[in-house]
Amino acid sequence: QSNSIDGDAIKVYVRVRPLTQGTGLTTDGDRNLCLAVTSDHTVRLNSKPEPRNFTYDHVADMDTSQESVFSCVAKNIVESCMNGYNGTIFAYGQTGSGKTFTMLGPNELTDFSDELRGVIPRSFEYLFFLISREVEKSAGAKSFLCKCSFIEIYNEQIFDLLDSASASLFLREDIKKGVFVEGAVEKYAASAAEAYQVLSMGWRNRRVASTSMNRESSRSHAVFTMTLESKETGQGVVNIRTSQLNLVDLAGSERQKDTHAEGSRLKEASSINRSLMCLGQVIMALVDVSNGRSRHVCYRDSKLTFLLRDSLGGNAKTYIIANVHPGSKCFGESLSTLQFAQRAKLIKNKAMINEDTQGNVK
Amino acid sequence: LHEHNMASAGSREWRAVCEKFRRAQDLSEVESRKDPENDPFRSKYKARELLKEIYCTLKNFDVDDGEGEGPEADGQAREALNGEPANKAHTGDSRAGLRAAKLGVIDYHLGVNHIETEELSAGEEYLMNCVKLLDECTVTRENVSLFIQVGNQLGILWAGRDETEKAQGFLETAESIYVQYMKEDGQPPLDLVDFFVLEEDAPSQQERMRRFEMAYTHTLYYLAQVYKNLGQYESAGQYCHSTLQRQLKFSHFVPLEWAINAATLSQYYITKTRYMEARHCLAAANVIAGLAGEVPSEAAAKESEAEYEKREQLCQKRAEIARCWIKYCLNVLQDAKKLLEDNIGELDLDRQEELQRARQDEEEEKERGRKTAVLFDSAEMFDSICGQEEKVSCILPLNFEEARAIFLVGQGYVTQAKEYFEMDGHVTDHIEILQDHSALFKVLAFFEEDLERRCKMHKRRVDMLEPICKDLNAQYYLLICRQLQFELAETFYEMMDLKLAVAEKQDQPDAHTIKKFNHLCLASIKYYQMFLDSIRSPEGKFPEKLEDDILRPALVAKFRIARLQSKIISGNQASQLENLNLSLESYNFVVQYCEEHPEAKKAVETELELSEEMVSLLPIKINRIQCRMVSSN
Repeated sequence: QSNSIDGDAIKVYVRVRPLTQGTGLTTDGDRNLCLAVTSDHTVRLNSKPEPRNFTYDHVADMDTSQESVFSCVAKNIVESCMNGYNGTIFAYGQTGSGKTFTMLGPNELTDFSDELRGVIPRSFEYLFFLISREVEKSAGAKSFLCKCSFIEIYNEQIFDLLDSASASLFLREDIKKGVFVEGAVEKYAASAAEAYQVLSMGWRNRRVASTSMNRESSRSHAVFTMTLESKETGQGVVNIRTSQLNLVDLAGSERQKDTHAEGSRLKEASSINRSLMCLGQVIMALVDVSNGRSRHVCYRDSKLTFLLRDSLGGNAKTYIIANVHPGSKCFGESLSTLQFAQRAKLIKNKAMINEDTQGNVK
Repeated sequence: LHEHNMASAGSREWRAVCEKFRRAQDLSEVESRKDPENDPFRSKYKARELLKEIYCTLKNFDVDDGEGEGPEADGQAREALNGEPANKAHTGDSRAGLRAAKLGVIDYHLGVNHIETEELSAGEEYLMNCVKLLDECTVTRENVSLFIQVGNQLGILWAGRDETEKAQGFLETAESIYVQYMKEDGQPPLDLVDFFVLEEDAPSQQERMRRFEMAYTHTLYYLAQVYKNLGQYESAGQYCHSTLQRQLKFSHFVPLEWAINAATLSQYYITKTRYMEARHCLAAANVIAGLAGEVPSEAAAKESEAEYEKREQLCQKRAEIARCWIKYCLNVLQDAKKLLEDNIGELDLDRQEELQRARQDEEEEKERGRKTAVLFDSAEMFDSICGQEEKVSCILPLNFEEARAIFLVGQGYVTQAKEYFEMDGHVTDHIEILQDHSALFKVLAFFEEDLERRCKMHKRRVDMLEPICKDLNAQYYLLICRQLQFELAETFYEMMDLKLAVAEKQDQPDAHTIKKFNHLCLASIKYYQMFLDSIRSPEGKFPEKLEDDILRPALVAKFRIARLQSKIISGNQASQLENLNLSLESYNFVVQYCEEHPEAKKAVETELELSEEMVSLLPIKINRIQCRMVSSN
C-alpha cells in the first residue's frame, strides 16, 4: 500500500453496527437485515430487484472491535500528524447508526480504561504516547505543545463549544496558518486525560446548547481540533513544525436532505417574502456546469467545507467513517450513507493548474 | 364587480363566511408559526376545519343560485387547462363560472393546507378538484389568479415527488395562461381573497395587480428551478433572467441579493461568450447594489454590531461584484487574443486588419441584436444602468488601445476587490484576485508590439506574485502554491523568450544582457523545480506514477527545464557541457516516462515529439563540445 501523502484520495471506512434493542431505531422483532458484509472491502445492500455491492477502503462488520477501528482508521493519521501533516477523521451516518459509539464510546463514557472507548480517546492516548516517546528519544531537544479547540457549526453559524457565552464566530484565513476560527478558545492539553477533559466539557456544552437554544445536535457539525506544535533545537537552529488533527462529527445524514441532498424539490417562495433565495443557487449551478472559462462564483462554500478545505484532498490525510445500521427499516438511510461514502471517495482537491498556464510549446 | 359574485353579499350568513375565511387565513399564516413542537400543525388543522365548513356553506348557497347550469363534466384536467375556450361550458364571469371560482379557491386553500400538513395525496386531490372546476371555465379577470396559483402549487407538489416533467407541465400551463390573459385583457384581476372579503376589506386594484404579478414571477422562478433540474440550462438561464427582470420591474427584491444574482448570472453569460448580456447584468448589479444604502464608516462599525454586520455585508458583496467584472474584462481580452493569435501565439496582423474591416458591419448587427435581447427595463434605473455599461466595451478589442481600455477597467475592479479581500483574513480570495490581475497583464502584453515594454508587463506579474509565493504556507495552501510556482516559472520563461527575441536583433549581446538573460533562465528553472518538488512524497521521493491532474503540468515543467538548461549562455565550455547534460537528462525524463506510461503520451504530444528529437540530437552536440575540450587541453 502506497504511503505517499499527496494524491491520496479520501479514504472511507464503513462500519456496520450490531443490532441492539432500544436504539430508537426499533429493530425489536425485526431481524431482517438489509446489509451484508461480503469482504473486508465490500458490502452488499439487498435492494430490489438486484442487490447492490459497494466497495470501500475497508468495511467492518458487526463484530469489529473498537481497537480494530482505531488501528485501521486513526493510527496512521495520528502518526503523520506527528510528522507535521494535517489529518482529519469524519464520522458520518444516520442518528442511531453508531457514530457516537465509534467516535467516543458507550454512553459518552469518561472511563479511560474501558475496552469500549472509541476512536477519539484512543487517538488522544496514542498521540501523547508518541509525543512522550519522541521527547525521550531526543533527550530533551524536542518539545511539543498541544492546543485544543472545539467548535460547532449550526445553520452556517459557528459557535465555540469551549466558551458557551460567546457570540457566533467568523472564519478567517492566514497566510501562515491557513483557515482558522477567529476568537475560538484554545485550551492547552499536556496529556490524553487533559485533552479528554476539554472534549467532554465541549460535548456537554453542545448538549446544553441544543436544549436551551433549540439547536438540534443531529443538525449540527462538531469539529474538535488539536493543533500540535513541535519544536526541535539543534545546533543553534530552532525548527518549528505545526500540524492539525481534526475530529469531525457530521450532522446526522438523515437531516442532510433538508438542506441540499434533495435536489429536485423546488424551493418555494412564500408570498410575503421578497427574497427568492434559491434563484442564486440555480444561477450558480448554471455557472458551475460551464466549460473551462475563468469565472467568479459569488456564493461561498459552506462553513464546514471552508474550514476543512485542506482536508478534502490536497496534502492532508483524511478518513471518513460511514456508520450504517443494518436493519431493514434503515434501508433508505443506509443507501444514502453508502452513496455519500462512495461520492466522498471521489472528492479530491484538484491541483488545478489552469489550462492557460499549462502553456503551449513555443 | 362584486354584485353577482356575492349573490348574498351583506347577508348575515355571508358575513359569517367571510369572517371564517379570515380566521382560517390568520390561523394558517400567523398563528401556526407559534404552534408547539409536539403539536406542530394545530393551527393548520383548525384552519382546515373552517375551510371545510365554508365549502359546505358554499355548496348550499349555490344550490339556490347555480341550479340548472348544467352538469359538472369530469374532463381531463390537464387537457382542459390547455383547452380551447370553445370547449368550455362557462365563461369565467358567468354565474356558474363564479361559483366554480369560489369553490375553487376553497379547494385551493384546502389543497395547500393538506400539503403543508404532509398529506400530499389529499392535497393533490383538492388542487385537482380546483383544476377541474376551472376547466369548465374560460380564463377571465375573476379566475386568472387562481389558474396561476393552482398551477404553481401543483408544480411544487410534483417536483417534490421527483416527477419533474409533470411539474413542468403545470407550470408551463400557468405561464401560457398568464401570457394569454395579459395579451387579451391585462386588467387587474381578482385576488384569491376577493371572493371572501367584505367590500371594505377588499384589496385595491393596485394591490391586486401586485399580487397577480408576484404569483407569475413565482411561476417563472419555479420554472427556472425545474429547467435546471431537467438539465435544460439554456432555458434555466433565461428564466433566471426573466425572474430577475420582473423582480426589478415590480420592485420586489432585496437589493444586495438581487445584485449578487445578477452578477452571478453575468458569469453564466461569460461562459456562453454573450458579453453584451454579461455586461448588462453587471451594470445592473452595480446600480442595484447602490440601492442597498451607504456603507457605514469604520468608526460606526466599531460602535455597534449591527453597523459592523452591515458594513461587512455591503463591502463583501460589492467586492464580489467587482470580481465578476474582473472576470468579464479578462474573458473579453482573452477571447480577443484567441481570435487574433497566429499558430505560435503571436498577434496575426493580417487577421487584425481583416477583423477591423469586418467590425463595421458587425456593429450594426450587434445593435440590432441588442434590441431583441432581454434587458432589465426598469424605467428609473435604465439610465444609470446604461451609464455603467458605457464605461466598458462589450465588443472584442482588436488593437492595443482598445485592449488597454478594457484592461484599465479590469484593473480598477482589482483595486476595489482587494480593498475587501485583504490578504490578512482572506488569503485565498486575495490571491485569486492577484492571479486575475496577473492574467490581465498577460493578455494585455499580447497586444503590445514593443518587446521591451511587453517584458515590463510580465515583470509586473512577477512583482505581484513572487512575494506571496515565498510567504504562503504550502501545508495549507499546496494547490495555490503550485499554481503560483507554475505561473511564475512560466512568466520568467516568457520574459526569457522576449529577451531572446530582442537579443537576436542585436549583433552581439553585451555582458549585462547575458547576465539578465541567464537570470531569467535560472529563475524560471527554479520555479518549475519548486513545482516538481511539491509533488514529492514526505520522504522526498518523486512518484513513480503521476496523478492525472498533475501529469501534464509536471511533464511540461520537465520539458521547459530541459529547454531552459540548454539556453543558458555560458562563457566556459565545462559549464556549458554541464548545462547540456542536465538538459538531456530532463528531455530523457519526458521520453522515458511516456515509454513507461504510454497513457501519458496524448497529454504531451508535441512536447514528447520535441523531446524525442532533442534526445537524439543533444548527445551529438555534447559530443562535439567534449571533443573540442579534449583538443584544446
